[in-house]
Amino acid sequence: MLLNRRTSGDRWRIRPDGPGKVTGQMPYLTDMSAPGMLHGAVLRSPYPHARIVSISTEKALALTGVRAVLTYADVPGLNRFGIAHPDHPVFCEDRTRFIGDAVAAAAADSIALATEALKLIEVEYEVLPVVDDPEAALAEGAPQLHEQGNVQHRNDYRHGDLEAGFAACAHIVEEIYQTPRQMHTYMETEGGLFIPEENGRLTVYSPTQHGFMDRMQLARILDRPETDIRIVSSPIGGSFGGKDELNVQPYGALLALATGRPVKLHHSRWESVRAGLKRHPMKITMKTGTDAEGKLLAHRVRIVSDAGPYSTLSAEVLNFAVEHVLGPYRFGAAEVTSVCAFTNNGMSGEFRGFGGNQAVFAMEGQLDRLAEKLGMDPWRLREINLRKPEDPGPLGQPISRTDGVRQVWEALGDSRLWRERESLKAISAEASAPPGLPVPPWIKIGYGAAFVMHGAGLGVGIPDPAGGRLRLAKDGKIEAVFGYEEFGQGLIASLEQMLIEQYGFAADDLRIVIGDSDVVPDSGSSTASRATSMMWQSLRRLRAPFKGKLRAEAARILGRPAESLKPLNGGVRDIESGELLLTYEELANQAEEEIAAETSFFYPTSPVERVGSHFMYSYSSVAVKVEVNTLTGRVRLLDQYHAVAAGPVVNPQGYLGQIEGGSGMALGFTITEDAVMDKGIYLTRNLDTYLIPTIAELKGTFEVEPIEKLPEGDEYGPRGIGELGSVGLAPAIAQAIFDAAGKRVAKLPVDPQLLQERISFD
Amino acid sequence: MALNQEELLRSPAVWQPRSIEEAIGMKEEWGSAAVYTAGSTLLRTQWEAGTAAMPRHLIDLGSIASLSGIREEEGAIAIGPMTTLTDCRSSGLLAEHAPLLVDAVRNIAGWSVRNLATLGGNVVYRVGDAVPALIALNAKLEWHDGSRLLFESAEEWASSSYAVPRLLTSIRIPCEEDDPTSNTKRFFAFHKVGRREAFTPSLVTVAIQGEAEEDGTLTKLRIAAGGGQTTPVRMTRAEELLLGAKPDGAGLQQAFEAVLEQYEPRTDPFATDLYRKRTAANLVVAALWSQSPSNASKG
Repeated sequence: MLLNRRTSGDRWRIRPDGPGKVTGQMPYLTDMSAPGMLHGAVLRSPYPHARIVSISTEKALALTGVRAVLTYADVPGLNRFGIAHPDHPVFCEDRTRFIGDAVAAAAADSIALATEALKLIEVEYEVLPVVDDPEAALAEGAPQLHEQGNVQHRNDYRHGDLEAGFAACAHIVEEIYQTPRQMHTYMETEGGLFIPEENGRLTVYSPTQHGFMDRMQLARILDRPETDIRIVSSPIGGSFGGKDELNVQPYGALLALATGRPVKLHHSRWESVRAGLKRHPMKITMKTGTDAEGKLLAHRVRIVSDAGPYSTLSAEVLNFAVEHVLGPYRFGAAEVTSVCAFTNNGMSGEFRGFGGNQAVFAMEGQLDRLAEKLGMDPWRLREINLRKPEDPGPLGQPISRTDGVRQVWEALGDSRLWRERESLKAISAEASAPPGLPVPPWIKIGYGAAFVMHGAGLGVGIPDPAGGRLRLAKDGKIEAVFGYEEFGQGLIASLEQMLIEQYGFAADDLRIVIGDSDVVPDSGSSTASRATSMMWQSLRRLRAPFKGKLRAEAARILGRPAESLKPLNGGVRDIESGELLLTYEELANQAEEEIAAETSFFYPTSPVERVGSHFMYSYSSVAVKVEVNTLTGRVRLLDQYHAVAAGPVVNPQGYLGQIEGGSGMALGFTITEDAVMDKGIYLTRNLDTYLIPTIAELKGTFEVEPIEKLPEGDEYGPRGIGELGSVGLAPAIAQAIFDAAGKRVAKLPVDPQLLQERISFD
Repeated sequence: MALNQEELLRSPAVWQPRSIEEAIGMKEEWGSAAVYTAGSTLLRTQWEAGTAAMPRHLIDLGSIASLSGIREEEGAIAIGPMTTLTDCRSSGLLAEHAPLLVDAVRNIAGWSVRNLATLGGNVVYRVGDAVPALIALNAKLEWHDGSRLLFESAEEWASSSYAVPRLLTSIRIPCEEDDPTSNTKRFFAFHKVGRREAFTPSLVTVAIQGEAEEDGTLTKLRIAAGGGQTTPVRMTRAEELLLGAKPDGAGLQQAFEAVLEQYEPRTDPFATDLYRKRTAANLVVAALWSQSPSNASKG
């Protein structure tokens, strides 16, 4: 059954944070200000690669109204950040490695003064040769960007006898796939408010996807105990991975502590483009072969990824890509080699899909090309090679068992869109002219589909804590306390809905507390499609203890047997009649001690040693119908269908929103978006040249079919869907373009010139 | 070093002249330290990008009432240059007499920008997307140089350069009365191709206005092409080839070649010269093919 407002019935709820957001009444963290607040600004390198000869801040400091000017010499702790590999300088000491590198920062009475102060900071640079391509970075004689060289990370995988595999192949296809430097383009750019408190602590109001990680990194930079820092990290105006790493926080924190006054920083869009993370551009070379019947015998992959100047999670993204270039298929033999190189390009980093988008575009492209060689329907070729439920994961690791592969494969075949394709194929085989309304000869229509198997959680070898707390607060509200962040994905709504549906509470009974390191437990990061899944597991663990405590205390107060009571909406009720016996407020007032329950555990992982390999997967199949206009070579997405097998739908609106939103991003990745760089300089510096899809691109039908059934006895519940929708659309569109216009797309975004044809009237 | 903070943080002065003469007087007095502003939507992007410095004086033409509005006068539709793109888009007069311009305006920027941006601003920008449409419509521009009115066609304006301070005071689109006895049919086409479907900078913009007899013979034809930073020009060679003819396959092929040769786009990192040329030629030829009686239902 398709998921939409109508089919969701009562489960389609107005999200609690919705009205405040759509009316603009809810302040985001970057809307905040404080009395006596200063404005901070960061001086960034004008060159993609340069040696710093000298820095002088005297003139800037002499400007009236400028309260502090800081450089590397003013960093009390580690002058580095980076979630996994702290190699990103807070302030560069003797060298800048990209156009966004920070050299100094100023705090002043106004933004204009702070900006003026930056102009007065005197930095002498010696320009160095620019490494603007990862393959050039790896070549002999290339300028080395770090002490350990230009290799950020390598990761290889092999199984089976590859040469024998290729020797036995009847069909082999080889292709080089290239993907763009996509920008997250959140509506709210990076920023925050940093307040030195009277008690000596520092409060940080700044978006992030893991408050405790920011706290740890800031403590390291500031050389202070973590407990001296409070991180308020929610609500957020979009992140998509882009605010997972530190951005303005080191500068805001240092300036606030240096001046003893609140400091606000907020990137303009220009600065966000310049300094912010982008999706790793990847070049993926694949050679893949089958036997005469279509069975995949051999698969060789080489991935080259552009890290930009520093690490952040580049290695982890590369590991993810290695796993997902194998994906849902079984190969006789496979070999993946991969490398991520440092360059003087923009910073690459974590981005929704996490390396899966690039990998799946290439992998699915191979299947479509092989199907053409085999003269076989591409969807049938996938069926032949898909993993079976009992099969291990892509890297041979044990994974949580579901029938997701089969479920989404079948669902797509039965979808209205795919049946439309079948019926058109049948008709056009008989008639010479295509059926339907007359269309101009330069409009070509095509259909395509792709398959996605996407891992969730951080994977083996990376600390991945989870957990949460429920408590009955003094005012009678049931507080659900989790260390997650709301960045638009609907996390608050999903948590509320689970508490209503699974616990029987009413919305009015509840208070959701998230994103404040002083009060929440470390539930792990709001990344990797993991938060909803971990909340579900937490609530499952907390249900018996928390409801048990509510009931026991109510039994004591009411003087009735606990078995006759049930905590539900509004308070504790008679289990038989449903009569309200004790409100939560009464219960809170009369309780002898606080009623609370807490759980902590770890995201389930596969019992193997291979770092990053996943245990839980979500599955999706995507079908699209596109139109190619050969006059202009432009592509329009007409209709799309997504089958998603990821366990139960926790929140219908949130689920649909994630798939639709992910798909919108994937459409940008496919047809419009690329942060173009030339010798380390961005050419797309604002949203007038970096083009994300508008409502005009996002027309057409959008069908989402969730498949909720999990195997009997499954303990893990909902799998993640936060990234899934952003993955499969690109290869499906590429195949639809081929179906329409007979041309293979291997580089994204699609170049209209490739599809343009000279008009003819034969 | 103590800078004068006030000097540093001072905003430009905004002046609101009551008449054209007063506005021109201000501009003459301050010269390059002053800039006329209409909707300021383009200026704002230039200031933000650092491609233009914010001047000391802004002369806000919005205060001159006579510069706004759309009227019928002497066989023409006169559009005040301060008329917003939104007002052009919803104008009944323009919908009736110059639907080509309405189409063009609809394709400029986004809703919020069109509410502020003016037709005059788009014309003075010279590479604005309304300009090819105005050339195809044979529009005339009226300027004031402080002492007298000057007239030139949109086509002349697009390829000219001027130094004397002057102010655009009216944009006139000639409108011919429909001749009920005539069998000719008017047609028009506007195409803007960018890198996305809406709110996009143009790569190629093509505007066509013409008339054809029932059998498809072209009796009038004006084709203009611009887009991006390309100065909009008439595709005179294609016009000459097609005027008086019933375009068939071979004729359209020749017109394609003619546009390919005459259209000289300025490139940027986002599309090649060849792509832009082919796009312009394809769109011109496709529009003419679509208006021919035998293809009309397909196009």
